[in-house]
Amino acid sequence: MLFLENIKLALSAIRANKMRSFLTMLGIIIGISSVITITSIGASAQAMINKQFESLEGGYMVLMINWRNTESIDYYADLFSWDDIEALKNRFPSYIRYIELMNLGNSSTTTKVGRLEATLSLYGAGADYNKFDKSIQIIHGRMINQGDVDAGRENIVIDVRAARQLFNKENVVGATLPATIYGDEKDLTIVGVYETPPSIFSGLMVETSYTCYVPISLMLGSDARSAYIEIFASDKDDPIVQAEAFLSYITKVKNKPADFYMYQSADEQISQVNTVLGTLSIALGAIAAISLLVGGIGIMNIMLVSVTERTREIGIRKSLGARTKDILTQFLIEAMILSSIGGIIGMALGMSLAGLGMSAFGIGVVIQPIVIVVTVIFSAGVGMFFGIFPARKAAKLDPIEALRYE
Amino acid sequence: MNPETTEIIKLQNLDKTYRNGNISVAALKKVNITINYGEFVAIMGASGSGKSTLMNILGCLDRPTGGDYFLEGIDIKEKTDDQLSFIRNQKIGFVFQSFNLIPRTSAFKNVELPMIYGKIPARDRKDRAVALLESVGLGDRYEHMPNELSGGQKQRVAIARALANEPTIILADEPTGNLDSVSSIEILEIFTKLNRDNGNTVIIVTHEPDIAKCTDRTITFKDGIVVEDARREEAV
Ligand SMILES: Nc1ncnc2c1ncn2[C@@H]1O[C@H](COP(=O)(O)OP(=O)(O)OP(=O)(O)O)[C@@H](O)[C@H]1O
Ligand SMILES: [Mg+2]
Repeated sequence: MLFLENIKLALSAIRANKMRSFLTMLGIIIGISSVITITSIGASAQAMINKQFESLEGGYMVLMINWRNTESIDYYADLFSWDDIEALKNRFPSYIRYIELMNLGNSSTTTKVGRLEATLSLYGAGADYNKFDKSIQIIHGRMINQGDVDAGRENIVIDVRAARQLFNKENVVGATLPATIYGDEKDLTIVGVYETPPSIFSGLMVETSYTCYVPISLMLGSDARSAYIEIFASDKDDPIVQAEAFLSYITKVKNKPADFYMYQSADEQISQVNTVLGTLSIALGAIAAISLLVGGIGIMNIMLVSVTERTREIGIRKSLGARTKDILTQFLIEAMILSSIGGIIGMALGMSLAGLGMSAFGIGVVIQPIVIVVTVIFSAGVGMFFGIFPARKAAKLDPIEALRYE
Repeated sequence: MNPETTEIIKLQNLDKTYRNGNISVAALKKVNITINYGEFVAIMGASGSGKSTLMNILGCLDRPTGGDYFLEGIDIKEKTDDQLSFIRNQKIGFVFQSFNLIPRTSAFKNVELPMIYGKIPARDRKDRAVALLESVGLGDRYEHMPNELSGGQKQRVAIARALANEPTIILADEPTGNLDSVSSIEILEIFTKLNRDNGNTVIIVTHEPDIAKCTDRTITFKDGIVVEDARREEAV
């Protein structure tokens, strides 16, 4: 029988039993919507993570104390100092593009200009840090430079939004900004203003403070110690190989057992996140698969009921010349359409759910068009798989017995 | 005349035994009937005498358990189920006592159905379905559902549907059994016209001698056996 006729027939059969059809689709709807939600959230999260590191130059890594293996540390002997930075710089001149101590921890400060107030988060930067982090686009003045770092000058580069909030204008180069750095009150001179190019996760963090850059030497002082070293290594060589080399060298310099220090690299973190997301997807994918299985069985069940209810109709059709194949395709297409409609509803639901969840983080969902195609084909496939048994049952009915059925 | 061309139906020692577990009912026993093209035949007999059983076999809905059935010279035994479907679709128009219209499906769609299975293009299907419904006097009822039609109207839709693929044989099993006398006469007129004007071979099962009187020939069954096969004088 003609394909189009079968589709019309299936739709009218589904319409004739709206509630029942909807309940039958529910399993498929839940299955497909969870698959879509999971894959959309996964893809969005992945895009976000990758994007986060994307603004950074390649070869980004942090050497650090391995806190997990460390019960107590000696502040002067175990933490990193400027001497360690020099040692690494001298040992790997052609690999290290940027290396500085890194300050983590509380460095936020509230500053006041007249009546206006803003909270700044101070980041200790080496010279020309903006060359390595593309989210820093200097629009007025300049970035912290080598002179600032060498002399520990009391200079600062501020976020354009902080400038607007504190001064009601953008070009505030030369202005003075009072700030507290680790307890010391200082009057910093603004040497530059930067802005961050907008990206899909611009709204991701509800920002309560603005990141501003000061010379790392000002931040930490000349006798500084830090548990972290920030490095941009060569982006032409394997970051892991380089990180291992830096790590084993610094361990030797500090005369410490292996595992006392460790590193984290951007590449490694991306792959870690991807692994976690991958595992999550598999676990949730399994749940989704089970709900699809249940949904498929639901379709099989309702199709069996439908075949029984319509035994007489099948008998009439056969008496009018329907062949085995005609009845088979009729019921198969009905099962496939039932489950495809469920799939489409599930897809819409899943996308809305993913969109809702992502918008809580201020991110747009990444919807892959391939997902839509795969969903429709896949749900039709589920319908076909679970519809084949009832359809065969219908097709094999003996015409005269089907006509006699009451 | 060559008998090959005059015989449309030929039954030879036809048996039909129903088996349900260890109970078996012989519904037809050694039936021999030959029907020629263009005949108008009434089948009569008491309830349970095997009339419907015979009609189902003639309509290729069921198979005999013994003997032979030749339809236009074709040995039905040799045919697969799908081939029988094709024969039903092309050669036979079946009209049932209980109408057997497909529920929740318009009169028009019901009439169109055999043509869909017969792979007739959509345009021709529409035209023919409209023409058929008009010819049975239902020109204004295309979109009506079966439950919106009277018994007589339902049976007329069923007749229109039976004629969809221009079959040579019309089989009607008590077509007026569920109808009042006025509707019965109208339905019978349609069958008479089909036989007289359209040249169809019409076989009709009935309990009413008045109806049987309108036909050329009456075959009477009793307990699965043909007990009488009478042709009316003017037809002989
Ligand atoms: N599916 C079946 N299984 C078992 N026995 C059957 C079956 N169908 C019919 N019979 C039996 O075969 C015999 C003939 O039945 P059939 O339906 O052909 O009678 P009929 O002449 O059409 O009767 P009526 O005038 O009441 O319609 C009956 O005894 C009936 O009980
Ligand atoms: Mg009967």
